[in-house]
Amino acid sequence: MAQTIAPSGNGPNRPRMAQNTRTGLIFLGVALAMLALGYAAVPLYRMFCQVTGIDGTTQRASAAQASAVQATGQRISVRFDGNVANGLPWTFRPMQTTSNVVIGEKALAKYEARNNAARDITGTAVFNVSPVQAGKYFTKIECFCFTEQTLKPGQDVEMPVIYYVDPAILEDPDTKDIEQITLSYSFYESERL
Amino acid sequence: MATTAPETFPVHEDAHHDAHADHKPAFFQRWFMSTNHKDIGTLYLIFSIFAAIVGGGISGIMRMELAEPGIQYLGAVHEFLGGAAGDFDGSLHLWNVLITAHGLIMVFFVVMPAMIGGFANWFVPIMIGAPDMAFPRMNNISFWLTFMGFCSLMMSAFMPGGTGMGAGTGWTVYAPLSTTGSPGPAVDFGIFALHLAGAGSIMGAINFITTIFNMRAPGMSLHKMPLFVWSVLVTAFLLLLALPVLAAAITMLLTDRNFNTTFFTPQGGGDPILYQHLFWFFGHPEVYIMILPGFGIISQIISTFSRKPVFGYLGMAYAMVAIGVVGFIVWAHHMYTVGLSVNEKMYFTAATMVIAVPTGVKIFSWIATMWGGSLRFASPMWWALGFIFLFTVGGVTGVVLANGGIDDNLHDSYYVVAHFHYVLSLGAVTAMFAGWYYWFPKMFGVWHSELLSKLQFIVFFVGVNTLFFPMHFLGMNGMPRRYPDYTPAFELWNWVATKGYEIMAVSIVIFFANILYAIIVRKKAEGNYWGEGATTLEWTLSSPPPFHQFETLPVIDDKAGAAH
Repeated sequence: MAQTIAPSGNGPNRPRMAQNTRTGLIFLGVALAMLALGYAAVPLYRMFCQVTGIDGTTQRASAAQASAVQATGQRISVRFDGNVANGLPWTFRPMQTTSNVVIGEKALAKYEARNNAARDITGTAVFNVSPVQAGKYFTKIECFCFTEQTLKPGQDVEMPVIYYVDPAILEDPDTKDIEQITLSYSFYESERL
Repeated sequence: MATTAPETFPVHEDAHHDAHADHKPAFFQRWFMSTNHKDIGTLYLIFSIFAAIVGGGISGIMRMELAEPGIQYLGAVHEFLGGAAGDFDGSLHLWNVLITAHGLIMVFFVVMPAMIGGFANWFVPIMIGAPDMAFPRMNNISFWLTFMGFCSLMMSAFMPGGTGMGAGTGWTVYAPLSTTGSPGPAVDFGIFALHLAGAGSIMGAINFITTIFNMRAPGMSLHKMPLFVWSVLVTAFLLLLALPVLAAAITMLLTDRNFNTTFFTPQGGGDPILYQHLFWFFGHPEVYIMILPGFGIISQIISTFSRKPVFGYLGMAYAMVAIGVVGFIVWAHHMYTVGLSVNEKMYFTAATMVIAVPTGVKIFSWIATMWGGSLRFASPMWWALGFIFLFTVGGVTGVVLANGGIDDNLHDSYYVVAHFHYVLSLGAVTAMFAGWYYWFPKMFGVWHSELLSKLQFIVFFVGVNTLFFPMHFLGMNGMPRRYPDYTPAFELWNWVATKGYEIMAVSIVIFFANILYAIIVRKKAEGNYWGEGATTLEWTLSSPPPFHQFETLPVIDDKAGAAH
């Protein structure tokens, strides 16, 4: 640090230049690490949402897990919503507008989908619940949204979803006042991804 | 040391040893291939002023359109830029392009180049007693990358961007508007502009950190560095940690747009909210990146014109460190309305409010510095006092907005616009003008007019307050951001704000008149023209400093107190 400085790039300031290069490379490494962390945020965020049910991410359980849940006497209203993304020539709608379900008990809801185009189309449904705090208590056992759905031209199908509302929803101060949960699906065409 | 006269004749290199310090390369080599931190600093300042004319001119169009309800001028501007006559959607799209360009230009091409590229490049090496930056060539690359980023952004205005020409995504570039919502190359060029400017800034940050860590003069310990150097050090770390995350986020946008990835696209399992998290993980430190060097400038000025060291030097330095650290864990207060749970909102509200503590330490230490000081009201001091007032107003509305519950109501309203213009347009820009008048004679060797500087301050102060204060009322009454039209109920305060813009524009005319004054009158400045109180190392040099300073390193002894 105390050497005399010559303006040209050689001579007595060589050691300092090497030191600068080392420091510079260390902090370049820090910048690259942050870049990598930015990308690492993608899978981390997904895991975080799945674990915490944040932002209306619904939960998933097996039939065995579902039967272990104790049904309560209380009921909650579930509203159903179905949407189709731009450019997907399907009709997709819930077959019931609302259901009044017992909290903790398995329930079945059906959607109807119809392919209006003259070709086979494969679609994927993405889903969410509102209010978003209810996501971690809305548990699906079976859903058409777990897999891709292929419809032949003009084919009309019923699509079931089996779910239950976790009784823990009654204990969470963020969710115990919720009277109605809206379950929403949007179908996208898979090939367009 | 360094008593070489600024206006040396082109002396032959071997003729006289001292002349070497002031030997300048020929014009093209000096300004286009520069490796000299002072010349690069000057380039950054010129570039920033130029970009400010563009960005400020755009806000002029915006204020003109908003002066009355209804759409009056957008159609004409749209036609002027080559749009079809009567293309209503196109002219509304132009509005989005204007707000996007205004935000990006002001953040990336005005405030950052002036604060970090300009003043920090000029004075950090001098203040720590270094001959230049650690990586002079990288310094040059940083500048030209920033310049090319600006060119890329300007080019995007003439490319199709979906509904019309140009990128109309807002400076936040939120998906899905910026992905599926904006076909055409305009947004790609906008993203590319951010890549270039970001790469330039990351290189600049590495350069500053290395310079400050490795190249301090003997005796200049970290705890003796002037507060401006501290502010740049913290800023450089924020840049280094935040900008790569933005780079990652906008690269994901780019691949979502062009290569069918689905980072932010729901049909492929992506989530547009993730983009907001990544953006604001960068975006919140970014606002401190813009204001911290201003804090440093204000500390130097208040100390100089109070003729005493800054009150609570270590507290001031570590307050900036604290602001920088806490700045990384409060980002979601920009996204209270995306559906955060009550607990998340509570955390982000509390964490955000914590920032008011170190900020308060700074404000009160500035006041305590002046307390009992031998005050002198030269023009930089006027600007510095204006900064303290305006920044405090912006800080107070920031505490209001930090509340998750209140923000539900004020989110995306003009209250937010008022808040961030008070801390940036009034805070950061006022600090930039303060630094400009503090160091102008030092940088260019000739005096500006103190009278014009003070006049500019008065006009600017009246103008910006008339411009932005009514926006608080508009926001609380529910006027949303980002629209070119509004209900006639909001007409009065919008009209007032537009008048404020006109007053502010007059102050910019005075600013340029002042530069002209300096060029024409050419009143020579001495080395330490502020006299007692100006104790940092740049005041030991001539004005302007020799082309190469400190060929023999200055030694800072314990008693001199050159640091603060």
